[in-house]
Amino acid sequence: MSIFRALLTVLAGLAALFPFVVAQTVPQPPLDYVCPMDRDVRSAGPGKCPRCGMSLVVGVPDPVEYPLDLNLSPRTPRAGDRLELTFKIRHPKTGAPVTQYQIIHEKLFHMFVVSQDLEYFVHDHPVPLPNGSFRYAGRLPKPGMYRVLADYYPTGGTPQLTERTILVPGGGLQPAKLGPDLTGKHTENLDVELVTEPPQPLAGFKTLLFFRVRPAEGLEQYLGAWGHMLVASDDLIDLIHTHPFLADGGPQIQFNVIFPRARTYRVWVQFQRKGVVNTAVFTVPVSVLK
Amino acid sequence: MSRIVRVTLAVTLVLFLWHSSAHDVITTPITFSREISRLIYSRCAGCHREGGSAFSLLTYQEARPWAKAIKEEVLERRMPPWGAVKGFGQFRDDQGLTQEQIELIANWVEGGAPEGDPVLLPKRPDFAEKAAVAAPPGIAVEGAMALKSPVTLAGIRPGNVAEGSSLMVTATRPDGSIEPLLWLYNYKPQSGRAYWYSAALRFPAGTRIEVSPPGAGTIALLVKQGRPNQIRR
Repeated sequence: MSIFRALLTVLAGLAALFPFVVAQTVPQPPLDYVCPMDRDVRSAGPGKCPRCGMSLVVGVPDPVEYPLDLNLSPRTPRAGDRLELTFKIRHPKTGAPVTQYQIIHEKLFHMFVVSQDLEYFVHDHPVPLPNGSFRYAGRLPKPGMYRVLADYYPTGGTPQLTERTILVPGGGLQPAKLGPDLTGKHTENLDVELVTEPPQPLAGFKTLLFFRVRPAEGLEQYLGAWGHMLVASDDLIDLIHTHPFLADGGPQIQFNVIFPRARTYRVWVQFQRKGVVNTAVFTVPVSVLK
Repeated sequence: MSRIVRVTLAVTLVLFLWHSSAHDVITTPITFSREISRLIYSRCAGCHREGGSAFSLLTYQEARPWAKAIKEEVLERRMPPWGAVKGFGQFRDDQGLTQEQIELIANWVEGGAPEGDPVLLPKRPDFAEKAAVAAPPGIAVEGAMALKSPVTLAGIRPGNVAEGSSLMVTATRPDGSIEPLLWLYNYKPQSGRAYWYSAALRFPAGTRIEVSPPGAGTIALLVKQGRPNQIRR
């Protein structure tokens, strides 16, 4: 009896130390409510995604890519000149124009544009047109390649992140050469520091990115989340849009990212404080596990 | 240390080590049955199946031992061997994984690659052979060339491109506008595939077709209309 009691005591201690081990053996209720964007966020009941703020839904359809046509006006963009981008989305089966969208992060359409040298970054919101298309007017500052990431949620489908490419005449196609830059940044009304765990991020393994912001007083959710992040590889092939894994309005905001390849990645992170959007930029070298 | 405590600790240690080695720790709700099987069926099973050209990944028991290799291959964009970077040309039957699909697989593997409830498995795919699309006439491009007459492109096919290499193909019209035609990354010549545009692309005479970097390889423009011999170098 004494051995049995002692065993129980030690097992209880182990359970406290390693709750995840025990959790495997405890029946869980069916986690049928899924975040359409962060599909690893599940719940047994309705609610909001703690990462991106979207409503959890039952029965998210299998992801299907929606065709997106990006038209430029004028067709030949010139560096520094006004340029209109029109995004037309079609149904993947019928080809018919999509006209109904769900709001994600307070907007119907989010657009990121990144230049080939990774110096130019825009996160903006093309306006909807009566025919279901979206239009954005802006200027691309220099010749070369730009990658566009369109973020939208067609009704009846799943959230889409669609890449497109704009080529402004006069530039080359060579990838950027980036040096690491993990130093703290002073932005509009914040100081932002970045600490990664592990300190040397490894391709294919989860990296925790801890952002410490000062002053934290006055931090607000920006477009329905405590932060937005875009990660781009130096060759512009990997484009990752994500939101905090852990954040509560305090000074530390944690993002989790699996950097795909052993390359250099540029990270743009956006926080809002007292109505002002702050964008901090870091450059993270990622190595391979040896 | 009393005998009871020693025995207890030994038994506990054995139990714990057995448990740890028998199972990876599961930290994700993403499962093979619900999410990963759907990706494998649609993107991998054409080759990775019984009777296919590579080992089968159709069942959890078959896929689980390969989980870490699957993660590495998709993150490096070596698999599926589609080869074309998304958003640089729009293609029919695009077999490349989206960034979110890549992240889904990586998170499943990082989270212990759980099976989930087999009730949620989708219907197994139909592997009926698709009829090969007859290749239209091709215009070979090495380096750069200018079209002498108008051309309507149905597709593009890599020619002599070394394994693992990368290149971009662009078309610059006489008005200066540049159309992205193809961006190959980590190319696998074994696939021998042609890329068919989701909508044909029309180019006037004088359009300059360019492979970058020069010398990275050759490609063939698959022409829907026009006279392929009338080209100007």
